[in-house]
Amino acid sequence: MTNGTKEIPTARVRPKEEFNFFQDQRVRSAFYQILTAGIVGWLVWYLISNTAHNLEVRGMNTGFNFITASAGFDTDFKLIDYQPGVGTYGDIFIIGALNTLLISFLSIIVSTILGFTIGVLRLSSNWLVSKVALAYVEIFRNVPLLIQIVFWYIGVFSLLPVVKKSLDLSFGAERVILNNRGLYFATPVPGDLFWMTLVALAVAVIGAIIYRRRARKLQDASGKQTNTLLPSLAAIIVLPLAVYFATGMPLEWDIPTLQGFNYAGGTSVPPSFLALLVALSIYHAAHIAESVRAGILSVNRGQSEAAMSIGLKPGRVMAMVVIPQAMPAIVPPLISNWMNTVKNSSLAIAIGYSDIVSLFMQTALNQAGYAVEMVGMTMAFYMFISLTISFFLNIYNKRVQLVER
Amino acid sequence: MKFHCNLALVAALAAIGASGATTVAAETTLEIVKARGHLRCQVGSPSPGFYNMDSKGDWYGLDVSVCQAVAAAIFGDKNAIEFQSVSSQARFTALANGDSDMLSRTATMTMSRETQLGIDFLPPVFYDGQGFMVRKDSGITTALDLKGASVCVKTGSTTELNLTDFSREHDLNLTPVTFEDYNVRDDTYQNGGCDAVSNDKSSLAGNSASFATPSDHIILPETISKEPLAPAVRQGDSQWHDLVQWSVYALINAEELGITQANVDDMRANSKDPNVLRMLGVEGNLHEGIGLNKDWAYNIIKAVGNYGEIYEKYIGGGEQGLGIDRDDTLNALWSNGGLMYSPPMR
Amino acid sequence: MAIVKATKTPERPAPISETSILGWLQKNLFSSVFNSVLTLLTTYIIYLTISGVYVWGFVDATFVAETRRECYDNSLTGACWAGVIDWLDNIFYGRYPREELWRINFGGILLAFWMAPLWITRAKGKVLVGASVVAFYPFLAGYLFSGGDKGLFMQVMVSAAIVAFVINMANAIAGLLKQQSIAQFVISSLGQTNAADKSQRNLLIALVVVGFGVAYLWQSSWTVEFVSWTKWGGLFLTLVISGIGIASALPGGIILALGRRSKLPVLRVLSTGFIEIFRSVPLITVLFMATTMFPLFMPEGFVLNKLVQVIIAVVLFNACYMAETVRAGLQAIPKGQAEGAHTIGLGYWGTMGLIIMPQALKHMIPNIVGSFIGLLKDTTLVSIIGLFDILGMLRSISKDIPWLGLHKEPLIFGAILFFIICFAMSKYSRHLEVKLSAGDRH
Repeated sequence: MTNGTKEIPTARVRPKEEFNFFQDQRVRSAFYQILTAGIVGWLVWYLISNTAHNLEVRGMNTGFNFITASAGFDTDFKLIDYQPGVGTYGDIFIIGALNTLLISFLSIIVSTILGFTIGVLRLSSNWLVSKVALAYVEIFRNVPLLIQIVFWYIGVFSLLPVVKKSLDLSFGAERVILNNRGLYFATPVPGDLFWMTLVALAVAVIGAIIYRRRARKLQDASGKQTNTLLPSLAAIIVLPLAVYFATGMPLEWDIPTLQGFNYAGGTSVPPSFLALLVALSIYHAAHIAESVRAGILSVNRGQSEAAMSIGLKPGRVMAMVVIPQAMPAIVPPLISNWMNTVKNSSLAIAIGYSDIVSLFMQTALNQAGYAVEMVGMTMAFYMFISLTISFFLNIYNKRVQLVER
Repeated sequence: MKFHCNLALVAALAAIGASGATTVAAETTLEIVKARGHLRCQVGSPSPGFYNMDSKGDWYGLDVSVCQAVAAAIFGDKNAIEFQSVSSQARFTALANGDSDMLSRTATMTMSRETQLGIDFLPPVFYDGQGFMVRKDSGITTALDLKGASVCVKTGSTTELNLTDFSREHDLNLTPVTFEDYNVRDDTYQNGGCDAVSNDKSSLAGNSASFATPSDHIILPETISKEPLAPAVRQGDSQWHDLVQWSVYALINAEELGITQANVDDMRANSKDPNVLRMLGVEGNLHEGIGLNKDWAYNIIKAVGNYGEIYEKYIGGGEQGLGIDRDDTLNALWSNGGLMYSPPMR
Repeated sequence: MAIVKATKTPERPAPISETSILGWLQKNLFSSVFNSVLTLLTTYIIYLTISGVYVWGFVDATFVAETRRECYDNSLTGACWAGVIDWLDNIFYGRYPREELWRINFGGILLAFWMAPLWITRAKGKVLVGASVVAFYPFLAGYLFSGGDKGLFMQVMVSAAIVAFVINMANAIAGLLKQQSIAQFVISSLGQTNAADKSQRNLLIALVVVGFGVAYLWQSSWTVEFVSWTKWGGLFLTLVISGIGIASALPGGIILALGRRSKLPVLRVLSTGFIEIFRSVPLITVLFMATTMFPLFMPEGFVLNKLVQVIIAVVLFNACYMAETVRAGLQAIPKGQAEGAHTIGLGYWGTMGLIIMPQALKHMIPNIVGSFIGLLKDTTLVSIIGLFDILGMLRSISKDIPWLGLHKEPLIFGAILFFIICFAMSKYSRHLEVKLSAGDRH
């Protein structure tokens, strides 16, 4: 070996019948698995026993009794009935959870619409517009969301007028009022015959869907394009309205009115809600815009050229050829964005919107001090939401994969 | 062969893991602190007047001085401290689990906290009370005029609870507008986002100093809560409890006896008052009970001054102060009609 | 015959839309009525925004003042940048002792030099450069930043890091001047080019050992003053947390990703569960858990400092995200690669370490940079649990008595700073993406 020549290795033949316990694949894998499970199990047991011991030694509260104990604090935004001093910590958990779900749901809708719009504008032929869209995406993606939330919070306040000079967003009808205390809007209170209007709406929607299907079939068969949008919209708007007026307008409005310092009546949302909604929507729209753009660009140009050459109008090309093919590329990042929206709504804590983290994991924990249980419940809540979303994502992915083949 | 190596490696790792898990024998807090060489004192995210940071990165404020007093008592060096800034969620846990040696951060002493969280509060260093601030031009002169008003308040504190209680008691139907951050709360209030701000009065006075026109705002006379702001230690170490408690009393006692940072050397050398001599360790053996050397109280006063001096510097009209008067408040000495009172040091 | 034209056809000028400014404007901005309206509207909005920001931020702004009151006296409507300027040291370095700031700057410069060869095309052994940064730099920087007495372990690691750094620099110079690796250069300049492989290797090892000895002696002659982690803060702390986060998340992510793709059900279930749990909860809850619950998990009397708790939380959290990045990278590698590796007799680790991972890692680099940007932004959350990272510092300005209530300007300053850093990195990662995918086509 020292003189640099290499020994040619002779082929070694493993004896066939000999069973080597240590070389056997199954024994090895079983061993590794048992070992891993053992270590993890030991670790979990170790942590739990430490925690139990520590809690006991330090005389800290444990158990889930607090859920039925009454909580002595109030919150400015709640979707269920709650009286401080009467309502329980369980109610607080539900209020927080609902608030998180509400803000996430609305942010997801706004950010998706905004994101698609910006994503399409990024590809606009107008140079200025596409550059502004680019600037939007780059600015909002590259500044930490936490800074943006706090910034919007301050921004929204500085820009909105005081109560006495409230903005009326319903053009004089005093149904939707915006000032720096929040957004106030009238709440409809359905009367006796209101169900008929709803039925009419349902009929109109179903009718529009059938009409659209038939138009599609006609196009597939004859290549003739019909405009389905206008007639459908007309039906959906006119029919319920007609029924509504025919039944004598069975809808009362609970209108916000200025009483003393504030507007009372109707429904109100606090400014922290608006700020969080704006910040989350804008931040996530920037991310969604990028995936939409990438999705559209991933569709071969030949596709849209071919579609144009068979005489489809540009809008149709987008809707019927490009977008459907771009969807498999858009949807997974879109849904992971949605999941991020839910998770990022927890930053509400920075501006005091009563989401689950701020209300339950901060205020309630501060008052009652059941650290392990409360942090655990909050995390379990988020896990439940995320796992539900990813469950549907997996179903979608499976379907798309099947279609591809 | 490779497999055996792996196996040995895994076994070794497991062994290391197991040995790393051995527990440290319990010692007294004072022994731990002395062995470490510095005190771990917990403050929070900066709060003007009590604990805030200057542009050099140094902490200053009333609560900071309390920490420095304890450090000076133990080490004779007020800088032998590691300041820990802990979020309000984790503050009591961090104290209870031994991460912090003491807590000095405008925590309100309440029965449930003391009995349920594994901590002990010490004598209050600041008696605060929650009040309201409104714009002068609103014409409001008493808190009972606030019916239906929206009130800006900081979230997750006793402030929020007190406001709710007050509103229920007087049927005022107040709407709390909650904030995580003082600044955003104040901006909101200044921009008309709420009719009043509710907070501890000291903090209201301090914050209004930062407004563009402070004279446009007034603090209403009502005090709707008792907020004794007190340092705290972990339950179960009575020597440590005594040490911190008497360090706080030493600050007040020094003021009662007229000992100041400037004259403490002179007093120790020339005073004839046996109370002064006992406290400064010239006579008697007060230091033995708390396990320190006899200079401990001298070191405190030499390092941070007496309570009155600290108050003037950070809360009162001093250079770094909030500008809140001390006369006729609960924070005056008992001899001036306040609540600051030290049991005799003898 | 006259089909062939003897003279050159004169060049026609480019269409007007391609040359003149007016043409360009017409094509790109005013191609239709709708586009024109859009253009004018956008221009107006841009004008409003920029003029507003300009007046507030420059015209009416105060740059030199002692207190916020002085800013007010100067102008009630302008920005008060004086407070931010006064706090710059805090914003960048936290509470780090002012006379020791050179250590942080030096650490940064060291890192820049250490990594520079990665961008020098002529330098050799880029993989080793990267590995040496990850393996040794943390110890050198860790000692530089925290200081105090070096234990035996630290002495050895610091010496090793110094040796690694010197070799790396020498290697880069050798690459630049001679296009050789340092090993080749040393061998050839000692005239040992024709010696046996083994004796060459022994020679090099001997040199490294001698170098280590020299470094060990040298480093034991100096120490730097101890600085507690509680004095770390500002941008420095943000970079430390996210740097450690990304560096440790990568190996963690690889292990978890391999576990998730493993054929052993126990490993697969545990890894998947771990990944999904951490990916489904917000970082802020993990940070809360770390600060309120880690201490309870530990045996009595065993106290982890908060920075370590936070770093553990950040690493666990990011390892789970990195695991998914790695998994995506692994999925992009054709199955034939693994099968090919098996046929030449490589086992699981051989296949992964020599064949699959190197290819997958290359695909993942842009994503890793992306994760780092994300992590850098997410690190601002530690301010909520009471660490004075850059955001924590920015928010503390308003609590300092001279600057009481000054909070918008610091926030905007922070936003601009983050934008510059993150934008530069994301541009770079896009550039990398293009460069790496260009390599694929060969």
